[in-house]
Amino acid sequence: MLHTKNKKLVLLIFIIFLTVSTVLIGCTSESVEKSEADAATESSDMITFSWPRDVGEMNPHAYNPSQMFAQSMVYEPLVSYEEGGELKPHLAESWEVSDDGKAYIFHLRQDVKFSDGSSFNAEIVKKNFDTILDNGDRHSWLGVIPLIDQTEVVDEYTFKFTLNEPYYPTIQELANVRPVRFLGEAGFPEDGDTSEGVEQPIGTGPWVLEEHKADQYATFKRNENYWGEHPSVEQIKVNVIPDAETRVLAFEKGELDVIFGEGVINIDAFNQLKSTGSYETSISEPVATRILVMNTNEETLSDIEVRQALHYAFNKQEIVESVTSNLEEKADNILSPNFPYASNVEATTIDYDVNKAEQLLDDAGWKMPEGKDIREKDGKPLEIELMYNSAESIQKIMAEALQSEWAKIGVKLNIDGVELPTQVERFSNNEFEMNFYSTSGAPYDPHYFINIVATEGFGFREAISSYPNKDELLSQIATVQQTTDENERQELYTSILSSLQEQGAIVPISYIRQIAIYQKDVSNFSFPANRDAHPFTGINIGE
Amino acid sequence: MIERLGVMVRSQKVMVFCSVILGLLLLITIFAPWIAPHDPTLVNVTAKLQGSSLAYPLGTDHLGRCTLSRMLYGARTSLGSATLIFMSSLSIGLIIGLIAGYKGGWVDQVLMRFADGVMAFPDLLLVLGLVGIWGAGLKQVLIALIFVQWVYYARVIRGVVLSLKEQSYITAAKISGSSQWKIMMKHIIPNVLPPLAIMGTLEIGWAIMHLSSMSFLGLGVQPPIPEWGAMIHEGKSYIRTNPLLMVYPGLMIMLVVVTFNLLGETLSERFGLNIDNKEGRIK
Amino acid sequence: MGTYIIKRMMTIIPIFLIAILITFGMIHLSPVDPAEAYLAAANIQPTAEMLAQKRQEFGLDQPLLVQYVNAVIQISKFDFGVSYVTNKPVWEEVSSRLPATIELTLASLVIAIVVSIPLGFLAGVRKNKGIDHFSRFLSFFGASIPSFWFGYLLIFFFSVKLDLFPVEGIGTWKHLVLPAITLALPLIALYTRLLRASVLENLQEPYVLFARTRGIHEKNIMAKHVLRSAISPMITGLGMNLGKLMTGAIIVEAVFSWPGFGRYFIEAIFNRDVPVIQCYVLLAAGLFLISNLIVDIIQMYIDPRISREGRQFQ
Repeated sequence: MLHTKNKKLVLLIFIIFLTVSTVLIGCTSESVEKSEADAATESSDMITFSWPRDVGEMNPHAYNPSQMFAQSMVYEPLVSYEEGGELKPHLAESWEVSDDGKAYIFHLRQDVKFSDGSSFNAEIVKKNFDTILDNGDRHSWLGVIPLIDQTEVVDEYTFKFTLNEPYYPTIQELANVRPVRFLGEAGFPEDGDTSEGVEQPIGTGPWVLEEHKADQYATFKRNENYWGEHPSVEQIKVNVIPDAETRVLAFEKGELDVIFGEGVINIDAFNQLKSTGSYETSISEPVATRILVMNTNEETLSDIEVRQALHYAFNKQEIVESVTSNLEEKADNILSPNFPYASNVEATTIDYDVNKAEQLLDDAGWKMPEGKDIREKDGKPLEIELMYNSAESIQKIMAEALQSEWAKIGVKLNIDGVELPTQVERFSNNEFEMNFYSTSGAPYDPHYFINIVATEGFGFREAISSYPNKDELLSQIATVQQTTDENERQELYTSILSSLQEQGAIVPISYIRQIAIYQKDVSNFSFPANRDAHPFTGINIGE
Repeated sequence: MIERLGVMVRSQKVMVFCSVILGLLLLITIFAPWIAPHDPTLVNVTAKLQGSSLAYPLGTDHLGRCTLSRMLYGARTSLGSATLIFMSSLSIGLIIGLIAGYKGGWVDQVLMRFADGVMAFPDLLLVLGLVGIWGAGLKQVLIALIFVQWVYYARVIRGVVLSLKEQSYITAAKISGSSQWKIMMKHIIPNVLPPLAIMGTLEIGWAIMHLSSMSFLGLGVQPPIPEWGAMIHEGKSYIRTNPLLMVYPGLMIMLVVVTFNLLGETLSERFGLNIDNKEGRIK
Repeated sequence: MGTYIIKRMMTIIPIFLIAILITFGMIHLSPVDPAEAYLAAANIQPTAEMLAQKRQEFGLDQPLLVQYVNAVIQISKFDFGVSYVTNKPVWEEVSSRLPATIELTLASLVIAIVVSIPLGFLAGVRKNKGIDHFSRFLSFFGASIPSFWFGYLLIFFFSVKLDLFPVEGIGTWKHLVLPAITLALPLIALYTRLLRASVLENLQEPYVLFARTRGIHEKNIMAKHVLRSAISPMITGLGMNLGKLMTGAIIVEAVFSWPGFGRYFIEAIFNRDVPVIQCYVLLAAGLFLISNLIVDIIQMYIDPRISREGRQFQ
């Protein structure tokens, strides 16, 4: 059955493929020329958007796999989070806080209707609060939920709840995309418990879910009953495209109008599309910080000199710039200074300095033995393991870069890629040496970040357990949440953030930004102030 | 007869051709550290995504690592893993096949029913399932691939043992009082080795393909270890700007798999073994 | 003949029970505690009592044998438990995504058959002619090219460069073309080779010579006799390859963002959504076994010698 032809055959295959690959390169430069001329040919009143995952079940009180941007299109909060952390009235026209900081009274807007025409009032607000509180376990990450003692309908448009103890970030937390947003009466299941799902996704938001095909697409149409300014486009279609590269290709072909998000496309692809000049692009303000957490429970990392040495030997500027292709900038602080209370943190800025790093390691007793390339102390090599989420390309690339970087000062970094659930589990069980993390960003920080630092079971409290000033830090964190005085709060935050940073177990890497790229006929695009919210407010397409 | 001779001559040529390619691959595998112009894991972010140059003959990847070096070391990972899978599943299959065939009875029943159970799954799917539950990583993928592979060897060996058992010289050996193990070693093993070697050649191509599929899905080899499938996985993000990053490793996978398949087929034809065409495996 | 079918069907049941046992063992030997995985997915901080409660709910506190029997009973009712991530019955999630996968696999099966039958047949009849070389080229190429790689090349040329097909999505036949071709390629390779070999073998059979000496028209010999008997091993191949198709679909769906079961399965792997993983694996095994059974039955009609010989299923 076999012939000498086989030899030629194999050769032929390779010749063909070499030609193909040559053509591939040849064509690449042309692909750039593709214009937006063949942009979305569908209704000019529809914006086609893509998202890596299905929008989910559209339950305002549920988490994964529901997607926050979609939840925020349909459901609204009492208070909205605006630029710079400013809190503005939304479904609540105004609110009052009692002097002891325990009672919160909300005066609701009276002209709000749910998309099915039913009215929005204190009754339905209470009903939503109650089902959230019934499932308190799920929402305990939010500081305010476990503190709510009782909820009360004062009159048709006045709602009140009381806390067990004062908690200043209460209003901030009500601005989150989930879980404190409001489902219409008809959306509740018979027993009123939304933890197992909702009947219909009925909200007060500017958009209504029209059609949903799991894993394929979801379309949202304008809510004609909307109380606020009506969106100018009629429909938003969300195509589910898990693969980043496919998303870029679809955009280039005009199958999509807008790409928005964090890490939704490769940054090099973003820059390349931008350079063609055929599309509009924009980059947001920093929305969160990428950080590296060192577990001080591990003997090696319990030594502050080792932690600092690693920080000094981290060429942040260069790595961040090239890994993120200049999209992100290196971070010196755990929270970007544009966040509330984060502007005047006093901590030593650590600049790249290999000599200093080596000096610190020498001082800490980690010496480079003759003829070896890994430092040792008492015969033990300096080996550290870094855990990262294998599905996150930036974490992966940074891990590889750090490994190569620290090898230069004689530190052996073992990198371990795991799936997200494993990463979370190992982090919270304190089964790690180093881990990547990202702060939650707007609207959660700074209160949420320091809250999880102080709470057991998230990973941070355990990770910083050998800080010498740990007790002081924890008590400061406990106090700051109960402060009612603005100046005192500012001082406490400055002190907490400064000492967290000074101790060096939490290494800021870079400030994360969102990107958006859209066809030329899309106008009025703006980033949401709330990192998790949808970006469609005011957006326009066509003439 | 003349026809037969023709086959011999032609297969000779194919074998020479395949051997040359395999020899080259083997050299690469062994001497990768000396041939490769750079350390395959050395990151140099300032030189990322470069085209080919004297310093980097095939350019650099998204971390500024030398693509050529990664390809060469990738041969190590792929061929090394494939060989490991082959050897391990062969050993397990050999032991279990011998036991099942020789002992017969309920031992045979239990072992072969278990093998049926494993074979009830399409192979890559069981691998995916195992990795899904145990977590991603080279180790898990290797274990999973061995787990689905040994059954085929076990069945072949069991078959050979069963047919040999009936033959007079084994019976004679038994009567003459040779111990069971002696009989196995002396008569059975030499008889089963040639078909196993051929199966192995085909399986190595199979293993390389599956390992790279797993790595492509992000479930196999984890960074920074260079592996072809993983390189395609990483390179696919740059298909528009640097398509060669994923073209090269794809070509390598093809080259290796074609070579092993050709060799396996030629060998089996030469030794007059019957390939079970339905699955591309030997019966 | 009827008894053969029944006998043959009975052999499936114990094999499937062993298959369930294998997945069962796989899950119990895994480092992930289902109760813990469930709570993690639901965003609940696990406490000892909650874990105990969930374990009880999942029946994890019972003896292994009882757990296994329960699992078998549930699976026989298509109850694969509840997804850790969505909290909905797995079967519901899976069945809503199955149509897309079935559409894709059927399309590629059709492509594979339509291409490989004429190609394999002509290659066999015109041995060593141009068409034969082409078929052999395709066989080697198709069997050795990584499908994930091939898929991207297709996207690049036909969607991006030539703008003939959309790069992602589902709905029209245009969406279907590239993924179906990618998935069909290895099958085309295999079937073409099978058919060619089988045609060659049949041409050596005495009946062909006999027919020729009787002066039957060459076209008739080929179409009525050679093709008919040569096609039989291909049908067996079809059954054997449904499983391959299912695994191939996983990769193709990942490449083309095809919203089917395969993509869902990959997502489940990254979320450690064990019930979904288990469901896919068992479903594939079931389908694989049943398709083999059907193929055997078809074979029996085409070639009744099988039942007379009382072919044993190992």
